[in-house]
Amino acid sequence: MSSVTAYTVPTVTPDPASGEELEPKVLVQNLNFYYGDNRALKDINVSLFNGKVTAFIGPSGCGKSTLLRVLNRMYDLYPNQRAAGQVTLDGEDILSAAQDLNLLRAKVGMVFQKPTPFPMTIYENIAFGIRLYEKLPKSELDGRVQHALQRAALWDEVKDKLGQNGLSLSGGQQQRLCIARTVAVQPEVILLDEPCSALDPISTAKIEELIDELADDYTLVIVTHNMQQAARVSDFTAFMYLGELVEFGETSNIFTTPSDRRTQDYITGRFG
Amino acid sequence: MAARTVTALYARRRLRNGLTMGLAYAATGFGLSWLVLILGVLLYNGFSGLSLAVFTEMTPPPGAAGGLLNPIMGSLVMTAIAVALGTPLGILAGTYMAEYGRYDKLTTVVRFINDILLSAPSIVIGLFVYEIMVARMGHFSGWAGAVSLAVIVVPVVVRTTEDMLILVPDTLREAAASIGLPRALMIGKIAYRAARAGMITGVLLAVARISGETAPLLFTALNNQFWSLDMNAPVASLPVVIFQFALSPYKDWQSLAWTGALIITLAVLTLSIIARVFAAKRRSS
Amino acid sequence: MTDHTAKAFDSDLQELARMVAEMGGLAEKQIADAVSALARRDSALAQRVTQADVNIDTLQREIEEKAVLTIARRQPMAVDLRDIVGALRLASDLERIGDLAKNIAKRVIALNGEFPPPKLIRGVEHMADMVLGQMKAVLDAYARRDDSKAMAVWRGDEEIDAVCTSVFRELLTYMLEDPRNITFCIHLMFCAKNVERMGDHATNIAETVHYIIEGRPIADQRPKGDTLAALRGGAQQNRN
Repeated sequence: MSSVTAYTVPTVTPDPASGEELEPKVLVQNLNFYYGDNRALKDINVSLFNGKVTAFIGPSGCGKSTLLRVLNRMYDLYPNQRAAGQVTLDGEDILSAAQDLNLLRAKVGMVFQKPTPFPMTIYENIAFGIRLYEKLPKSELDGRVQHALQRAALWDEVKDKLGQNGLSLSGGQQQRLCIARTVAVQPEVILLDEPCSALDPISTAKIEELIDELADDYTLVIVTHNMQQAARVSDFTAFMYLGELVEFGETSNIFTTPSDRRTQDYITGRFG
Repeated sequence: MAARTVTALYARRRLRNGLTMGLAYAATGFGLSWLVLILGVLLYNGFSGLSLAVFTEMTPPPGAAGGLLNPIMGSLVMTAIAVALGTPLGILAGTYMAEYGRYDKLTTVVRFINDILLSAPSIVIGLFVYEIMVARMGHFSGWAGAVSLAVIVVPVVVRTTEDMLILVPDTLREAAASIGLPRALMIGKIAYRAARAGMITGVLLAVARISGETAPLLFTALNNQFWSLDMNAPVASLPVVIFQFALSPYKDWQSLAWTGALIITLAVLTLSIIARVFAAKRRSS
Repeated sequence: MTDHTAKAFDSDLQELARMVAEMGGLAEKQIADAVSALARRDSALAQRVTQADVNIDTLQREIEEKAVLTIARRQPMAVDLRDIVGALRLASDLERIGDLAKNIAKRVIALNGEFPPPKLIRGVEHMADMVLGQMKAVLDAYARRDDSKAMAVWRGDEEIDAVCTSVFRELLTYMLEDPRNITFCIHLMFCAKNVERMGDHATNIAETVHYIIEGRPIADQRPKGDTLAALRGGAQQNRN
């Protein structure tokens, strides 16, 4: 069984697809995370490569969602939560006290487990985020809203009812609306926290298709309980267990020939 | 054999179920009958006195004809001022408790005190305002009445605001934060919007509550036989006038008191119904 | 290995492995029967061998169905996936081995009493014994998930190839001695070739077992005997 602390973080690695060298967009080094006195992440080292999809899998409570919430410092909304170590985005330390959180979150968008449309119209759900950063004339704003909705493969379904409340859409549509809202802000990294766990298989397939498309322009990180989903959508996969990063590698290897016994037991359904 | 025991068991359960249900129906009927009785008597006694004059004429001296215009106006104005004073205060405090200070000790303390205030006897509030305003100013006034009503409004609004904001799911706050929305904007644009219906319901319930209060007004606004909107002087209000007229020996005053009671009851009923409708809308959206 | 949380998945995999083992047993019996029919000039036994082949084919189809169903129902990952893919590959190798045995039996029937001297058959018999040993070892390696045993089988094929080369050379000498020997010598050469092919399939199975256990193909090049060398040395010499 490989020791976790001995795991060294690959800073540059060849792209499994093209063979070109990949640069880490986000670099996590010796990250520890605490809920009060409870250490939820233990010495995590991992790179999230530019323009790639990285999946985090592991049993409930293994810390994968916690790790995701460090990447945009969402944990800062709550008291008694603390991260120690280093997490850099394009070389800049995001854990430093000087980091502007709103700026960080504009760069690192997030999509949640349950769809979270704002209590406003479909149009406003998207326009709201754009207006935060840019003052645009109406026609240009319309264009941007349309573009974001198209990017999320939702435009054709909602173009005739942009004035309706976002909550009137189906679950899968709401989730794509949330993705559109995230995309509209033009982030560089998109975090997806179990984005399909509340959706039916067809909606799930649509979101997965969307993830494939978004991967061309963004660095994506997805946390999922569904291993098949991780196998389908990701380029790299990390297996976490009890707050440790057990194994990280190309998805094609993790799901056929994992090197750690715990990874193998988990993905083949032999846990516990 | 086994089948017979099972049948017997089910028969016993059915009997017990029927008994409990019957008792529940009886209790509901008992409670409702009093309400119907009160409304019935109110309608019977008050409706006959209802006329245009009630809304256009001043309170009369005993034995003369008149209406309830000055107490109605007084009640409306004082209620409006009380709501204008109490609502922003309550909403801000509730917002602090639910959003900024949700995990603070101070919030727990404030919530505890607020709960006490919520159930404090209104006469105590009247006495308090009498001490700090009427006694110092040297005379009863509409302002003092409005302030005492505002003191009743605040805890109601604080409570509903906090409750409604806490009902807004954290994921919505996180979603707002995840596009880089600063906290104040998140509260103003997202949380309030999600909790709007509930918060309006809270204000309406507060209005319903204060529009029937007599005790605090007795010590503050007192009463006024004449038309006066001078908030620096005693101001008439419906509950106090009802109190005074109902206790009087004069037939026509008593009749006016019934009519006033009917007006207040109908107004409060209407407000409550509007509040329910809002609440229902919140749930369905 | 620990059990799956879903027990039914374990029984699915066990059932597959059992079917493969059964098929392996059938294939071994077919080889032994075919070669003994050849040695004893027993057309009746040869007939039985040709008829029994259908059992192997049926088993292969059943294994394929079971494997496809298991993949569809369980979405296996990692070692489980390799297990199932391995079972499919084993089944197809075993089916080919069955076909080769059937082919030998058909030749016994075609010879119809016109048999070569027993000493000529001894070489083929010897090869068949070696292949049976390989088969037994590799099926054992599969059942026990024993990589070193599988690797031993994988390396052992070289010897069979060498024996095959010498059998070819011997038969060639007989044909040169007396042209009347040519018919049965050709048949015998094909039988020897068939047995040699069975050995190759046993090697394939060893490779599959290694893949199931390790998850990657065998790294080094397999040592290979060259049956063409016999022909080069004997009849015609200008083949490179």
